[in-house]
Amino acid sequence: MSTTPDAPLAGRVAVVTGTRLALGRGISDALRDAGAAVGEIGDDALATRGDAVAAFAAVAVEHGGPVDIVVHTAMPDVAFEQTPFEQVDDERWGAVWEGAMEGAIHVLQAGYEQMRGRGGRFVFVTPTVSMSGAAGLVPYTTAVEGQRLLAKAAARQWGPEGITVNCLAPAPEHVPIGVESVAVSLAPPALGGPGDVRADLGPIVVFLAGAAGHALTGATLSADGGVWMAP
Amino acid sequence: MSDASLAGRTAVVTGAGQGVGEGIARSLAAAGANVVVAARRAETGEPAAEAIRDRGHEAVCIVTDVTDRDSMAACVDATVERYGGLEIMVHNAFRGATPHRVEDLDADLWRHNSRTAVWGSYYSAVLAFPHLVGAGRRGRLVLVTSPSGVEGSVNIPAYSPVKAAQRAMAKSLSREWGPHGITVNCIAPVAETPALTTAFAANPVLKERVEARTSLGRIGDPEADIGSVARFLASDDGGYVTGQTIVCDGGSFMGL
Repeated sequence: MSTTPDAPLAGRVAVVTGTRLALGRGISDALRDAGAAVGEIGDDALATRGDAVAAFAAVAVEHGGPVDIVVHTAMPDVAFEQTPFEQVDDERWGAVWEGAMEGAIHVLQAGYEQMRGRGGRFVFVTPTVSMSGAAGLVPYTTAVEGQRLLAKAAARQWGPEGITVNCLAPAPEHVPIGVESVAVSLAPPALGGPGDVRADLGPIVVFLAGAAGHALTGATLSADGGVWMAP
Repeated sequence: MSDASLAGRTAVVTGAGQGVGEGIARSLAAAGANVVVAARRAETGEPAAEAIRDRGHEAVCIVTDVTDRDSMAACVDATVERYGGLEIMVHNAFRGATPHRVEDLDADLWRHNSRTAVWGSYYSAVLAFPHLVGAGRRGRLVLVTSPSGVEGSVNIPAYSPVKAAQRAMAKSLSREWGPHGITVNCIAPVAETPALTTAFAANPVLKERVEARTSLGRIGDPEADIGSVARFLASDDGGYVTGQTIVCDGGSFMGL
């Protein structure tokens, strides 16, 4: 199967997590727009390594080939809730931190089983608030930053196998946390706003997921309309 | 070096029985703070506290398991009872993990990294908060992280997310607690510690590589090089620095 400029991901099989929310759905649509066959994995399938491996294998069977692309956007619902830190209890801390990290680890491990020996692409979606910090969202930002550095470590280990692992950092408006870009920087979004997931973030994910992105790994692309410009 | 910049203040330093934690404890005590050496084992914590007292400074060891909420709460309560308050909480304790592959990372290995670094930070912050908020804008939380929490570790992948988590905590907490005058910062050190000595012994080439990459050409001293930064952050002089990671590695990692 050959790719074309209009269908750079033709013949590729992708898994997208977190498609309960508009962010995951929009990325899923964008990958299909680019010609990929997309399997959407529910949050339940991320609870254990075995569940994730089975779910990824089912996607490979359904679409007639091993998974080439994994985009991870899923977070436990409780992670999005704003809570003053002094009211965070062990149950909430565990549900957000351990829940988010277990999901991310299982996604990496299940994806690796599909990509081992042949290469592949991981994209973690990590909103910019993990880098800027946000009051009321200590558990969420802690968990997102944990995921972002797990991605970097995996990028270092799996690079020799042709597997890239990158992060896409969208504006906070794309997740239901009640934070606007203005909280991240004094400057207004250079491009006018957080953008549309399918139309604006989609092509960036397609780039990271396709052949053109093969030399980029361990990177975080802040695609937030031009707000967070560090480094 | 001795000063009185922290006179009348009380600090808890976790993991202060050795290494970076001990260096920070010594430095804070030398600046006049009452220091609680919170160590998992009395065998290291008691001598560390005694060494501080031998220098004429104030310190006491409280055996504490940072992965246990009740143990941490007991440490904070005993500190406040003994010294009348708690202005400075330093969470440094970490039980190092062995090298591993991401594909082999299991629940036990993960918990090993997560419990001391991340749960320990959470307990330190949430249990100290009632005292920090009442500290008259002198409340300080310092989390000891690592350059690996920014760069990503090729050998110990579970180490990077837990150290990054501390950095994100510091950023969000600094925004949340700023109105109370509490500062929250991270220190990312490279220092001569038992953990580093062990790592170098296991991998002699690593020592050469680290020293070659370090601009100042030497590995940091826990007290003189790292403790001094903690002392600054804890003092009034450091009161306008918050949400930051101070990388104290002799000029190796410069990516922030």
